[in-house]
Amino acid sequence: MMGNRANVIFVVFVFVLAPLFVSKALGQVQTRLRIIEASNVGSSIDPALRDVHDQLGSLFNFTSYRLLRDESLSLVPNRPSAINAHEGVSLEITLTKQQKKTAVYQIRILRKGSEILDTKIRLSPGKTALIGGPKHGQGSIILAISARF
Amino acid sequence: MKDSCSSISKLLEKYFDRETTGDEGVLVEDHLRQCAACQAQLKSMEELRATLRTPVDKAVQKETFAWVWQKVEREIQDRPKPSWRESIRAWFGSSFPFRRRVWIPAVAAALLIIAIGSPLLFKETPSQTELSIVEYVQSDTNNVMVFESEKENVAIIWLFEGTEGDSST
Repeated sequence: MMGNRANVIFVVFVFVLAPLFVSKALGQVQTRLRIIEASNVGSSIDPALRDVHDQLGSLFNFTSYRLLRDESLSLVPNRPSAINAHEGVSLEITLTKQQKKTAVYQIRILRKGSEILDTKIRLSPGKTALIGGPKHGQGSIILAISARF
Repeated sequence: MKDSCSSISKLLEKYFDRETTGDEGVLVEDHLRQCAACQAQLKSMEELRATLRTPVDKAVQKETFAWVWQKVEREIQDRPKPSWRESIRAWFGSSFPFRRRVWIPAVAAALLIIAIGSPLLFKETPSQTELSIVEYVQSDTNNVMVFESEKENVAIIWLFEGTEGDSST
């Protein structure tokens, strides 16, 4: 009986904590990337964006926000990750530097293969970078990027 | 000798050695005024002391004690020199705070203060560049605006795509 319990605890420990240790050892940073469509058509707020609705409302003048994609990326330093943001627009995100509580990313936005924006951002716990502007339908695309430590 | 003499004789020796209290001294002196026997006893004590002291004092004055100092110096020279470890141990043993074992909690407290204080002392103050989220932005084709809100802990990079009109922000 005790042996079974010990085995269960060991398995839980391995499955829960091992990925954490592995990601730390590899220098991976969990990065959340949300692709949001912002427009002035209607006044609907995507329920998935409730946590950032107040922030978006205080910073932008749009009336409607819709979550198009919610990506959770495990980024390894200096390995670019390409994501198709929406039709014709893609982005390339690279973790260039990782410190204890800081992650530095290089983000390139491409429209039809041509670079339209190149930026380097530094994220720490609780900080978010919003990259917006690319047109999408009657609104614009906003990329919300945050890092998990 | 009267009965009171027997009780005073005990105090008389103390009186002679100047060890009596104030009351005892008064008692002895009152008795001595009336008692010739006790006066004689006191006088004999003084004579005995004088007899003993005079030759001793003379002998001490004559003696230079040079031999004593020579012996002490010889003892010091003959004694093996302690190693530095023994010297340190002796110093720790003789110094007041160490003898009392006060140094153990004192060292523990000092280490605790260092452990707590050192991160604060050596804490790196982040530079303005490290506080800001956006390190650089570049666009060869469009205008770009950067806005950082410390209150919201957020940075906005807005790309103005001219072909389809300006953004509504």
